Amino acid sequence: MRDIVRMVVVLSLICGVSGGLLAGVRIGTKERIEYQELAYVKGPAIRDVLQGCSNNPIQDRFKIKHGDTEISFFPGKFDGKLNVVAFETTGKGFGGEIGIMMAVSLVDDKVVAIDITTHKETPGVGSRAKDDPAFKGSFKGLSVDDPFKIKSEGGKIDAVSGATISSKGIAAGVAEGAKLYKELKPYILKKIKART
Amino acid sequence: MSIVKEFTKGLWKEIPPFRLVLGLCPTLAVTKSMENGIGMGLATTFVLVFSNILVSVLRNIIPSKVRIACYIVVIATFVVIVELLMQAYTYPLYQRLGIFIPLIVVNCIVLGRAEAFAGKNTVFASAADGLGIGIGFTISLSVLGAVRELLGNGTILNINVMGPSYKPFAFVVSAPGAFVCLGLLLCLMNIVGDLKK
Amino acid sequence: MTDYLLMVISAIFVNNILLARYLGNCPFLGVSKKMDTAVGMGMAVIFVLTMAGVVTWFVEMYFLRQSGLVYLRTIVFILVIASLVQFVEIFLKKSIPALYAGLGIFLPLITTNCAVLGVAIINVQKDFNFMQALIFSVASATGFSMALVLFAGLRERMALSRVPGPLEGTAIGLITAGLMSLAFLGFLGMA
Repeated sequence: MRDIVRMVVVLSLICGVSGGLLAGVRIGTKERIEYQELAYVKGPAIRDVLQGCSNNPIQDRFKIKHGDTEISFFPGKFDGKLNVVAFETTGKGFGGEIGIMMAVSLVDDKVVAIDITTHKETPGVGSRAKDDPAFKGSFKGLSVDDPFKIKSEGGKIDAVSGATISSKGIAAGVAEGAKLYKELKPYILKKIKART
Repeated sequence: MSIVKEFTKGLWKEIPPFRLVLGLCPTLAVTKSMENGIGMGLATTFVLVFSNILVSVLRNIIPSKVRIACYIVVIATFVVIVELLMQAYTYPLYQRLGIFIPLIVVNCIVLGRAEAFAGKNTVFASAADGLGIGIGFTISLSVLGAVRELLGNGTILNINVMGPSYKPFAFVVSAPGAFVCLGLLLCLMNIVGDLKK
Repeated sequence: MTDYLLMVISAIFVNNILLARYLGNCPFLGVSKKMDTAVGMGMAVIFVLTMAGVVTWFVEMYFLRQSGLVYLRTIVFILVIASLVQFVEIFLKKSIPALYAGLGIFLPLITTNCAVLGVAIINVQKDFNFMQALIFSVASATGFSMALVLFAGLRERMALSRVPGPLEGTAIGLITAGLMSLAFLGFLGMA
């Protein structure tokens, strides 16, 4: 009987100490891990859509609550002012979710650029949407009030030939992002004002 | 004196995974390049040293019936710490080693040292043993990584040493190449060992 | 349906867990000297890996992700696997002694078989749904056992032939495994 008690006590003690230690290390590294993940996973897309900005958008990021989730925004400084924000949105493609990084200008509410962060599209078919500059470029300058539809559906976006489903999915994702932007714009402006 | 001996035995006499045939999975999987090999070796060394120390400190408290469970908790704790630290400070390496970082927990070398050595010896001897075996493992992985990177890519630590005319021997960096290279290296070690006798 | 079939073929032949993903190599070289032990180990792995794959999937989806403790995945998974192995051992001993006599000695070794923890982690890293996780676990375990049994057959033959001194034992085993892996590489064209 005493043996069993001792076993239980020792095991729980070790587990307790381990749990405490890990929680400590986790708290100590959380900030840095989040930054590293953003810098290496989303970093390339963020730099791409905010090309030419004079600040570090990942360092200057802020979060805004939207329903149950928090959305990260990456402000870009152009002409000395934080007047573009980049954020991630998702669309549904052929193989699953497509992650889209989009940048919107706070001055005239127009899309500055979009880039694909993650996708599971068929290599060589849907995946071409990621690297097609004409497709990505056709989002540029569209107002956030645009319906974001591809040309065959009466919109303004050039679909990637042979990858209509992926193109539609990305367009729908951007439309979703635009809706989010319109909804959260007052909060974004408030956060940016607090920065400067 | 004996502490020095505990340390140096890991470097040749019991060098894993050649003499101590344990921990083959990471050895085969991450040695496509020397850099990965060194990274994996150092991560394993960290876990080995600290788990050996802690197991040795606790050796008189842990009831022998549940000792394996206790060792696993101790080892897993340090593996998670390494995971978090690598994510925070060497993110690209963490991404490249991927699943093999959490798998240090089931690397038989670590549990093997806890069971065979740290559970029976003093703290200092256990630390020396862990450090020696860990460094030995790091050396093995770096050598295998260097050979495979040199033949398969023409580079060492991403620096081109074979010149532009070298045609990479792609077999060496593929999965079958990993097995064959390790086998040949082991054979070479046996030959050297025989000569010494 | 075809997706699942492709997954099975891929996990058994193309991305064989032992020969292409490098998981579970310790028992691969350790218990492959005799056919009987290889078959026993293979069966035990199929049994435990499937159960572990399913249980850890539930733990990840309904506990770790809900409570934001994903960073503790490694420690929680290994504890789940260790207790599962222990539980299976006690259960078999009590209720199916015949099976226990066959698999018993291999069970404790499975806790530290990285194929088990590896498959459990791949299942959740790739965001598999329940069916995918189940099928991937079964197929990976089958691939493991098949490779192990085939390899044991080769090693039994090898024991009868003369091997040059320095290559004896593990060295020739590794090279044989390499050649086998090369043969499996031929399945790459299928997927």
